[in-house]
Amino acid sequence: MSTSGTLRGSLAALVLGLLVVLSYSTVHAVDYAEEAAYARDLRRLQAATAELNERVLRSRAALMDQYDPLVHALRDLRRLHQQLRRVPAFLGAEAARDLRRQLDASEQELRRKDELVESFKTQNSVLQNSLRYFPVLANLTIDRARLRQGGDAVASRIQALISAIMLFDTEADAESTSRVRAAQADLATAKPAAQTLELERDVELILAHSKIILEQKPMADGSVRQILAVPLPKLALQLEDSYSRYYRSATQRAIVLRQALFGLALVTVALGLTEVILRIRRSASALELATTELRAANLALAREREKERQLGELKTQFVSMTSHEFRTPLSVVLSSTELLESYGDGWARERRQDHWERIRAAAGSMRRMLDDILIIGRAEAGVLRASPAQMNLDEFSRHLVEGLEHSTARSHCIGYTFQGDPRVTLDERLLSEVVGNLLSNALKYSAPGSKVQFNVVASEERCRFSIEDQGIGIPEHDLPRLFESFFRASNVDQIKGSGLGLAVVRKALDVQGGTITVTSNLGIGTQFVVQVPRNLAISTSLRSEA
Amino acid sequence: MSVDFDRPRAALGELLFRDPSLSGDGKVACSDCHHENHGLADDKPRAVVVGRPETAVNPPTMYNVRFLYKLSWSGKYDSLESHLDALMTNPKVMASSWQRASERLSQKPSYDAQFKAVFADGLTPHNVREAVLEYERSLVTPNSPFDRYLRGDAQALSNEAKQGFGLFKSYGCASCHQGMAIGGNVFERFGVLRDFFADRGHFETADLGRFNVTSNERDRFVFRVPSLRNVALTAPYFHDGSAATLEAAVSAMADYQLGRKLDAKDTALLVAFLRSLTGEYRGKPR
Repeated sequence: MSTSGTLRGSLAALVLGLLVVLSYSTVHAVDYAEEAAYARDLRRLQAATAELNERVLRSRAALMDQYDPLVHALRDLRRLHQQLRRVPAFLGAEAARDLRRQLDASEQELRRKDELVESFKTQNSVLQNSLRYFPVLANLTIDRARLRQGGDAVASRIQALISAIMLFDTEADAESTSRVRAAQADLATAKPAAQTLELERDVELILAHSKIILEQKPMADGSVRQILAVPLPKLALQLEDSYSRYYRSATQRAIVLRQALFGLALVTVALGLTEVILRIRRSASALELATTELRAANLALAREREKERQLGELKTQFVSMTSHEFRTPLSVVLSSTELLESYGDGWARERRQDHWERIRAAAGSMRRMLDDILIIGRAEAGVLRASPAQMNLDEFSRHLVEGLEHSTARSHCIGYTFQGDPRVTLDERLLSEVVGNLLSNALKYSAPGSKVQFNVVASEERCRFSIEDQGIGIPEHDLPRLFESFFRASNVDQIKGSGLGLAVVRKALDVQGGTITVTSNLGIGTQFVVQVPRNLAISTSLRSEA
Repeated sequence: MSVDFDRPRAALGELLFRDPSLSGDGKVACSDCHHENHGLADDKPRAVVVGRPETAVNPPTMYNVRFLYKLSWSGKYDSLESHLDALMTNPKVMASSWQRASERLSQKPSYDAQFKAVFADGLTPHNVREAVLEYERSLVTPNSPFDRYLRGDAQALSNEAKQGFGLFKSYGCASCHQGMAIGGNVFERFGVLRDFFADRGHFETADLGRFNVTSNERDRFVFRVPSLRNVALTAPYFHDGSAATLEAAVSAMADYQLGRKLDAKDTALLVAFLRSLTGEYRGKPR
C-alpha cells in the first residue's frame, strides 16, 4: 500500500513536471513557420541591399533611368527592418535584444543610405539632364555655326568639347578632366567669334552644361561610392550570422527540451505501467484468495450436501427399517389376535395365555422401539435434555439387574459389583436407557449360561460402568459404525434387534456429557465402559457457564 | 494595370471627402481645395477657402497619390497615412481630429448605417480615417494614350505627341520626370541653370522647399519632382502656381532647368506629349 502511494505521488509529480516542461517548451519551441518567415526576410534584406546597389549602378550607367526601383528597394529595406524587429519568440529575450540592437545599427545605416541615394538621384538627374541635352545642343550649334561664314573654328572647338565630354563620361580621371577643362578654355576664347555669329548664348549654354557635367559627375560618382560603402550588406550578413547562431542554440535547446520531455514521458509511462501491473497483481492475489475461499465454501457445501444426502439416505433407511421393525411385532399382534378370535374359545387356557403373552411382548417391543426412536429423534432435533435428580446409583443398578434377570428368566449369570458413594445426581431415565441397553445387549449376544459382569464405580467426580460379556463379539470393521441407527454388526445372524439400542446409548450419553469405549474379541466377548459425571447438575451448569 | 482597393469603403471615403463635417468647424471639405472638376487640384495659384488662410502652396492633384514615395511639395510625408493625419490636424487646413470628425459625423443619421455596411464596428474615428485613405488609394488613372503607346499601340499618340516624347527625352526632361508616375520619385532643385526666384522677384518661406524639412543647405529650393500624369488637368503649375498654362510651365522648365528658351514649336510638341498623359478614372477619360 505504501509503495503504491509513493508510486502514485511520484507519478503525479512527474505529470506536473511534464506539464511545466511542456508549457516551457511550447513557449520556446522552434516555430518553423516563424523561422522560415524570419529567415526569408533576412535573405530578402541581403538581396534588397544588393539590389539597391545594383540599381544605383544601373541608374548611374543610365541603363535604366528610373528611380522607381530605387524607391521600391529602399521601401522594401525599411519594411524589412520593421518586420525583422519582430524576432521569433523561440529565440529568447536575449537574442531578441541583440538582433534588435543590430537592426538599430542597420537602420541607422539605412537612413544614411537613404539620404545618400536621395542626393545621388538629385545629382544624377542634373547630370543626366546635361548629358542628354549637351550633345543635342552642341550638335545643333555646330550645324548652325557651319552654315555661317567663319563658323568652322567655333564648330571645331565645340566638337573638341563634345569629344572631351564623351571621354570624361566614359572615364572621369585626371586626364579626361584636364582635357575637358582645356576644351572649355579653348571654346571660351572663341566667345567673341561666336558673338559675331550670333551664337554667343548657345556657346555659353554649351559651356554651362559641360561645367555641370564636369562638376556633377564626380559628385554623383562620389555619392555612388558612398552609397556602396554604407556597410548595410555587411550588417545584413552579420545579422544573419547572429540569427543562425541563435537559431542553432534555440534548436539545440528545443532538442534538449524534447529529449527531456521524451525522458519524462517515458518515466511517466513506466511508472504508470508499474502502477497498473501492481494493481493487476493485487487484484490477482485477491482473486486467488477469493477462489480459495470459494473452493473451500464449495467443498464445505459439497460436504454439507453429502451429509444432507447421507442424512436423507439415513432417513429413508430409518423409515424403511422402522416400518420393517414395526411390521414384525405388528404381525405377531395381528396373527395372535386372529388366532385368539377364531380358535381362542376352543383352546386351553395356557395356550390362550401364550398368545396373550406374545401380543404383550410385541406391543412392549413396539413401545420400546418407539421410545428409542423418540429419544434419537429428540437428540437429533437438539431437544433432548438431561433432567438430573438425586438418586441412589447402587439401588438403581441393582433394580436394573434384577429386572433383566427376571425378564430373561435368569438365563445368564449376572455378576454385579458396586464401589463408592451411591448418592449421585443423574438423569435416571437416560441412565437406564444407557446401562439397560448395554446389559440387555450383553445378555442377547451371549450364550445362555455364560457370565455377564456388571461393575459400577462411583468415584469422586464420575461414575464408571463396565459391562463385560462372553458373547459373539463384534467384528473390528463394524466398530466405527457401531453407534449408528439401525446398524447391526455383520455377525448378528438370527439374533433379533432393531439396531437402535447403541444409537440410543450414544445419544443419551451425549446429552449427559458421558463417554463410551468398546473393546471386543470376536467369539470371546465384548466390554463396554461408560463414564458419566457424578454430579450432572453441577457439570451441566458449569458447562453452560463455560 | 489594376490596383487593389475596397470599393464600398472608397465610396464612403468619397462621401467623407466632400463632407465639411470632417473639419473642426464643419465648414471645410477636402474637395474645397481638391476640385473634382479640376483634376482633384485647385484651379487658383493658392487655395482660398472661407475661414482659412490662403495656402502657402498650390494644392496638387490627388490622382495617383498611392504611387508617390513622398507627399507634399517639400516631400515632408512618407505615407498617405502620415500626410492625411497632418492635414487633418493642421489648424490652417482641416483643424480637426478623427475623434472630432467621428463625433460630428455621428450626428448625421445616414452615416451610421453606411459605416456599419462596410466596417464591422461601424462609425469610429479609426474607420473614418480608413475610409478616406481607401478613397485616396482608389484614385488611380490608368490607360492614358501614352500608356497605350508604350504597350504597343502606335496610333495612341499623335505625331506631335510622339515628337514631343522625343524632345522630352533629348531635352533631359526624362532625367527627373520618370518612372511609373512620370515624376514623383526624386527631389530636384527648381532652377538649375538660372535662378527662378530671383527672376520672380519676391521670396517666401515655402520657396525653400525641402530645406524646410531637412535644414540641409543643399536642399534649398529643392522640391519633390511632381508626377506629370494628368498634368493637363491641373493648371496652374509649380508650388507657387506661377505658371498659368502648360505652355508657360514647359517654357519655365526649359528656361530654368535647361537654360534654354524653347521656341513655340518645341513647346507645342512637348505640350502635346504632356496632354497624352491624361488617364482614365473609373474607366472614363478625364
